[in-house]
Amino acid sequence: MRALFNFLVKHNDWFLFMLLEVISLVLLVRFNNYQGATFFTSAGSVAGNVYNIFLDAGRYFHLKTENDGLLSQNLALTREVSELKEQLAEYRNNQLLQTDSLVNSIKSEYTYQTANVISNSLNKVNNYITLNKGSNDGVRSEMGVFNSEGVVGVVYLTSKNRALVIPLLNSKSSISCRVKGSDSFCSLSWDGGDPRYSNLIDLPRYAQFEQGDTVVTSGFSSIFPGDLPVGTVERIDDSADGMFYTVRVKLFVDFSKLTSVFIVGSENYEEQSYLEQSKN
Amino acid sequence: MNTFLNQLKYFLIAAAAQVLIFNHIHLFGYATAYIYLLFILKMPRFATRNRQMLWAFALGTVVDMFGNTPGIHAAAATAVAFLRNYILAMFIPNGMTEDFTPGTRVLRWSAYIGYTAFCIALFCTALFMLEVFTLSRPLHLAISVTSSTLLTLLFTTVIESLNGHNR
Repeated sequence: MRALFNFLVKHNDWFLFMLLEVISLVLLVRFNNYQGATFFTSAGSVAGNVYNIFLDAGRYFHLKTENDGLLSQNLALTREVSELKEQLAEYRNNQLLQTDSLVNSIKSEYTYQTANVISNSLNKVNNYITLNKGSNDGVRSEMGVFNSEGVVGVVYLTSKNRALVIPLLNSKSSISCRVKGSDSFCSLSWDGGDPRYSNLIDLPRYAQFEQGDTVVTSGFSSIFPGDLPVGTVERIDDSADGMFYTVRVKLFVDFSKLTSVFIVGSENYEEQSYLEQSKN
Repeated sequence: MNTFLNQLKYFLIAAAAQVLIFNHIHLFGYATAYIYLLFILKMPRFATRNRQMLWAFALGTVVDMFGNTPGIHAAAATAVAFLRNYILAMFIPNGMTEDFTPGTRVLRWSAYIGYTAFCIALFCTALFMLEVFTLSRPLHLAISVTSSTLLTLLFTTVIESLNGHNR
C-alpha cells in the first residue's frame, strides 16, 4: 500500500498528464457526437461576447463593400418584384389561379430572419460559423442558413443569444442537392482543402447535365426550401467504383467575406423529422 | 503570488494575440502561426511540470473555445508542456545548472531555434493529427504540419530577435 502510494506521488506528473489528455479527448468526442453544451464553443457566453465586441469595432471597415452588395441586391430584387407584380396582375385578370391561397401557402411554410456572422473560419477540416441570434430569437438546430449569393450551411447548436452553424465547409456537412434541370438528387459534402469548392457525391449516371450547370437545393429535406442556389458544376468525374458521378462544384458563396445571412426554418420541420425518424 | 500574476498577464496576452489576430491569418490556405506556444516555450526551466501542464491546458482550452475545436489545442499544448523539459535538455550546454528562461540571452541562437523548432513541430503534428483523426490524406496533413511549423517558427524567431535588442 505504502509502495503504491509512493509510486503515485513520485509519478504524479504522469497522472496529471494523462488526466488532462483524457479531459481533452472527452471534450473533442462529445463535441463531435453530442448536441449539448455550447460553453466550450464560440457560441458560448465567453468567446461569443469577446467576438461580438471586436466585431462591432471591425464592422465599420467593411461598410462600403457591404453597402455596394446591398445596393446591387436591392436593384435585382426591385426588378424581380416589378416582374412578379406584372405576372400577378396578368394572372388576376385571367383568373387562372386562386392567387391568394397560393401566396398564403408559400408564406406559411417557411419563416425567415436575418443574422450577423460574428466568427468564421476557412482553413480547418471542420469549420464553424457563429451567428448573433440564438434560441431566444427562435433559432433552433437544423435550421437552414443562406445569404444573397446562395446556401451557407445548417444550424448545429444554439445558446440563448448565439447559434453555431455547420457551413458547407465542414466534413460533417451534408446537404441534399440536385443539378437544375435534372430530377436526380444527391448530397453535397466537403473533404477539406480549397474553400471555394465542394463535391456532389454519388450522383446517378443517368442524370443529364453538363459543365456550367447550376446546382440547387433539392427541397426534399425540411431544412431548405427547394431551388436555393448552391454553385455551378466545375468538373465531372467517375466515382471510385465507377457506378456514379462525382461532381466538383464551385460554390456561389464566398465564405471569406461572409457578414450577414438569412436563417430559414420550416414550420413543418417537427412533423417531417418525426415521420422520418419513426420509419427507422 | 507575484509570479502567478506575471504569468497570468502573459497568458492573457498570448490568448488575445492568438484568437483575435493570428487565428485569422492563413498563408496559402494551409499555414497558421500558433504564436501562443511562446507562452509555454518561455516558462522558466525549473517550473514544475505540473504547473507547466496546467497553464498549457488552460491556454489550449481558451484557444479551443474561440476556434470551435474543443479539446484539440488543449491536448496538443499539454503534450508539449509535458515533453518540453526533455527537449530543452537536449539543447542546453553541459554543466549549465542554474534556472533560466529559455531565450537567446542564455542560449546560442542555434540552440534556441533548435529547441523551439522541435517543440513547434511536435505541437503541429499532434494538432493536425487530432483534427483530421485519420491519415486518409497524408500529403495534405504533411503540408499543413510543415507550413504551420515554419510560419510559427518564423514569428517566434522574429519576436525573440526584437526582444534581444532590449539588452
